[in-house]
Amino acid sequence: MQNFNQRINKRPKNLNLLSVKFPMSAIMSVGHRAAGILLFLSIPYFLYLLQLSLNSEADFVWVKEQLKSPIVKVYSLLMIWSLAHHFLAGIRYLLLDFDVGIEKHLAQKSALIVMAAGFIIVIVFSFKII
Amino acid sequence: MSFQAKGLQAWLWQRITGAFMAFYILYVSQVFITTEQMTYQIWYTWLAHPVMNTATGLFFLQLAIHAWVGMRDIVLDYMLDDTLRLLTLTTISFFLITCSLALLRVLFSLSMPG
Repeated sequence: MQNFNQRINKRPKNLNLLSVKFPMSAIMSVGHRAAGILLFLSIPYFLYLLQLSLNSEADFVWVKEQLKSPIVKVYSLLMIWSLAHHFLAGIRYLLLDFDVGIEKHLAQKSALIVMAAGFIIVIVFSFKII
Repeated sequence: MSFQAKGLQAWLWQRITGAFMAFYILYVSQVFITTEQMTYQIWYTWLAHPVMNTATGLFFLQLAIHAWVGMRDIVLDYMLDDTLRLLTLTTISFFLITCSLALLRVLFSLSMPG
């Protein structure tokens, strides 16, 4: 462990984010991680809703009403973006693993498509929800 | 399998569980989008069906593995303090095990009506 920490301390550090270039694939990748964390943190809330919705008809109706409140709607859209982005970015990674679209310009293009598709899905669902 | 999902093994688990979950998510989304009016009866019967019940349980176990590998990657990348790292990883693993048990309890409590 000592050796490991010493090795870490010797690594060059560059914490000035403004000096780093962020191509579309990097932005998409950050989004993939952020969405993953959001989904992970939401597990208990969805478990709670699932458990209640199956408990009794009255609880089911309560959950349905709950989902209609403005705050939950906004939260739902955030979750829909997280899932859509994480899903599409994940498929892009799977394809890259099989060397599909591995060329630099194609990878940048597919990253842009993933970013755009995530937002388009949110817009479509926002019409459905609101 | 060792308890530490490391290197290639973790990478492989991440992809296998991801691919499996993708099919489940597509199926569930399709049902949600095409069901005009979701009632308690439809909802309950759907999830109580042995195939859907099992698939959902399997989905959540895959989710727990997937989330573990992903969160572990993030913690290893950004948390350099050994004590904090160990504490966070332990918390995450206990959290995921608890959630999995809670979900299985809900799934097992359902019974086909009639």
